[in-house]
Amino acid sequence: MSEFKLTTVEEFEAATERLLETGAKVGADAWQFRVKNQTPHCKFGEEGVCCRICSMGPCRITKKAPRGICGCDVHGIVGRNYLKFTAGGSATHSDHGREICHTLYESSADGCYQVKDPEKLIRIAKEWGVETEGKDIYDLAHEVAEMGLWEYGKPFGTQRFLKRAPQSQQELWEKNELAPRAIDREVSCSLHMAHMGCSSLPEALIKQSIRAGLSDGWGGSMMGTEFSDVLFGTPKPIDTEANLGVMVEENVNIVVHGHDPSLSEMVCEYADSPEMIAYAKEMGAKGITVSGVCCTSNEVAMRRGIPMAGNFLQQENVVLTGACEAIVVDVQCIFPALGPLSKCFHTKFITTSPIAQMPDSEFIRFDAKTADEKAKLIVKTAIENFKNRKPELVHIPQLKQKATVGYSVEAIIKCLDGVANSQVDEMGTVKPLLQCVTSGVLRGAVAMVGCNNPRIRPDLAHIELMKKLIANDIVIIASGCSAQAAAKAGLMDKRAKDICGDGLKRVCELADIPPVLHMGSCVDISRMMILASELAKCAGTHVSQLPVVGCAPEWMSEKAVSIGNYVIGTGIDTFLGVDPYVSGSSEIAEILTNGTREWVEAAFTVEKDIDKLGDAMIARIEEKRAALGI
Amino acid sequence: MTLFETVFSGNDAVYGLTENAINAAIEQHGADKAISFPDTAYSLPCYYAVTGVKVATLGELKEALGVVKTLMTREMKTHDVFMSGVATALCAEFIEVLKYIDGATPYEAPCAGHVPDAIIRELGVPLVTGDIPGVAVILGSAPTTEEGVALVKSYQAQGILVTLVGGIIDQVEEAGMKTGANVRVIPLGKDVTAVIHVVSIALRAALIFGNVKPGDAASLMTYTKDRVPAFVNAFAPLDDVIVACGAGAIALGFPVITNQEGVSEVPKSLICQPDVEKFNATSLEARDIKIKITNIDIPVAYASAFEGEIIRRG
Repeated sequence: MSEFKLTTVEEFEAATERLLETGAKVGADAWQFRVKNQTPHCKFGEEGVCCRICSMGPCRITKKAPRGICGCDVHGIVGRNYLKFTAGGSATHSDHGREICHTLYESSADGCYQVKDPEKLIRIAKEWGVETEGKDIYDLAHEVAEMGLWEYGKPFGTQRFLKRAPQSQQELWEKNELAPRAIDREVSCSLHMAHMGCSSLPEALIKQSIRAGLSDGWGGSMMGTEFSDVLFGTPKPIDTEANLGVMVEENVNIVVHGHDPSLSEMVCEYADSPEMIAYAKEMGAKGITVSGVCCTSNEVAMRRGIPMAGNFLQQENVVLTGACEAIVVDVQCIFPALGPLSKCFHTKFITTSPIAQMPDSEFIRFDAKTADEKAKLIVKTAIENFKNRKPELVHIPQLKQKATVGYSVEAIIKCLDGVANSQVDEMGTVKPLLQCVTSGVLRGAVAMVGCNNPRIRPDLAHIELMKKLIANDIVIIASGCSAQAAAKAGLMDKRAKDICGDGLKRVCELADIPPVLHMGSCVDISRMMILASELAKCAGTHVSQLPVVGCAPEWMSEKAVSIGNYVIGTGIDTFLGVDPYVSGSSEIAEILTNGTREWVEAAFTVEKDIDKLGDAMIARIEEKRAALGI
Repeated sequence: MTLFETVFSGNDAVYGLTENAINAAIEQHGADKAISFPDTAYSLPCYYAVTGVKVATLGELKEALGVVKTLMTREMKTHDVFMSGVATALCAEFIEVLKYIDGATPYEAPCAGHVPDAIIRELGVPLVTGDIPGVAVILGSAPTTEEGVALVKSYQAQGILVTLVGGIIDQVEEAGMKTGANVRVIPLGKDVTAVIHVVSIALRAALIFGNVKPGDAASLMTYTKDRVPAFVNAFAPLDDVIVACGAGAIALGFPVITNQEGVSEVPKSLICQPDVEKFNATSLEARDIKIKITNIDIPVAYASAFEGEIIRRG
């Protein structure tokens, strides 16, 4: 066995530096330069005190001008901005979930998409009270998909999946009017409230933020995850690799980037076909390598073991290798910069969704009905582009780490069955995990999620926090770009157990897991909510009592704020490394960091010093243990 | 009290006893008095295996106790609990070695006390070949003699080496069971500290067969965890000292199965099995011991454990 060593952020940076040299040769722009051009940022925007929701403004709040033209004070402005930010994130995840519902609706035995996990579909159908007996699986799929689609706009009632939460949390939601109704309605209601002359009461604005967030986490995202599993299979532990070194110089390199697995799954399927591989050889390549960036990468890594080329702030690096034939994208977190950048190389920047159309891209409209031919066209386009490579520009940094991914809730429970004792324990529960936590062998769990943000040295906060937490016997569940940072560093290699505390190390050995568990993409944070709920139910406590916290140290997007809202909404304290533009209002800051406890038993902690952020999480976990007497 | 606090408390209690015992011995015999276990080349085998240091006199034993104290860190972490468990075991070894001063024979049949190197070398080969598929450490008194004896016999029939500590020894004797290394049922002693003599077997196995360098505690623990298929069956009631010893066993990779209700369970490590009849199956599963048994329907017990049995006249 070769010596195990984590890849350092310095090594990441050296690789990036080398790629930027290539970029300089061809006159490429990069985020590193654009950040400089944008710095210093506008302080009014940073504090959230600038309002431009009507044409009387823009208004900004200063000591001299404590109110906007309509008379709104700083708390109303900051609160409305925060609510709109959340609504943006909620809409984004939810639309993703809707697309998946549509894909499920289009599934058929001989169509582009099949039901790969019928068992899970039946389970969900039963949960929703649908008769499953004697029904054709595709009839069932269509029925459930349609019910799912109604969740977006039903006129009455609240989200069906809320019932998965522990009773105590459901009661809090009911009591405080936080239970999300139809998903689109919450987004729309948020925008209504934030209109000129509507809500400016801080409590009302933050409550609606939580409700809009919950409509994402327990609505759109959860359906996105659940139905993706039904269509593409529920993830199981699988080995893969991460970082740019997964790209293969002799092969046609196709990079999938974005979020919706409907596209990436199909591209992977075709790239793997003998016909396409033969075609690639005909064009002078040795084969085809598909790798991923961002959440769509997480999706195909979790289900197919497709290697992960990088996370959010590495998306330009993929092109800068000069070895990327096509970067195929759908929606969300795609730098429009990829268009002009790809023009500096032979790379084809292929957009596929009417939701995310960009200049300087080749638009191949992708939809569920014609998915197969479109995917084939995309793969062929990439293969035919191989000959256009400029060999003098090709440089793939030889950095990669092994990772074991695929830890869905179902897979985690299966691992736990492996350490349960059939003479004593019931199988198929989270009890063994709870026992590890109760006895103190594991001190708790942290859900590490979120993006990269140039405000923080990329990946450093993710990696350093994870190292610190696992050394303290705290197990990590990770998703999104945080998970990819961990994978790139090597923290998802099972050998990373050796840098854990003795308790976590023993757990990793016995359960045969890495100390950082990859639970998937950003919509898959819904998996974490289910896991936390199961633990609370098993322990007979509120979610808020568990020694579990959430953390987004390098968050960037509106989606991250929506996530944050539903995580605290579920009763889990959440730690942020970047301020969500609320520092301008003492009242909003107070509600978010303390006041929300009254409604959902959890709140945010914002701490820009990453080391202190880690200490604060550990302290919170120990506080929760002490309160439980464990 | 949390599980960790229980371990720390048990460890503190044993440490206090050990300190007093060593001080009293020094007062009685002087610091230069030689101490040793009989028939071993490994000094105080457990202390030697963990630290790489041999202890020959009472004065050195007192120094060694100072080293043991440094293992007793008190953070609420598994690392600290493991080390406290190891410290408890080492204290037990110190207490036990004091019993052997001046060539005394503190243990008499059926109890073996300290097990000589020769027997470990003899048992080592079948352990490595899997002929002995496991080592059971049974501690305390079974709820009834019948249950205790049935448990011991069940292991014996599987070829598992059984060591006994505490009340179970009387129970086995009461039932008229034959014991001894030759039938692979070894009563060690009735004090809980006698459990160290089986730990000593495991650690000497690591030194003799595993080529573990004395003092390389990490390799030692990996070796015992991976290669010595031992497990502990501890009968209720458990006191803090037993729990602290249990932490030492778990640190070495040996699961503890108990019928004490209400313990804070740890998967694969500390398991509550209220039904003593199921101790065998629970233990084997916890330690991943897989035994393929071909049942030969004969009127007497049949196992490799009986190979050394001596048939006497009458």
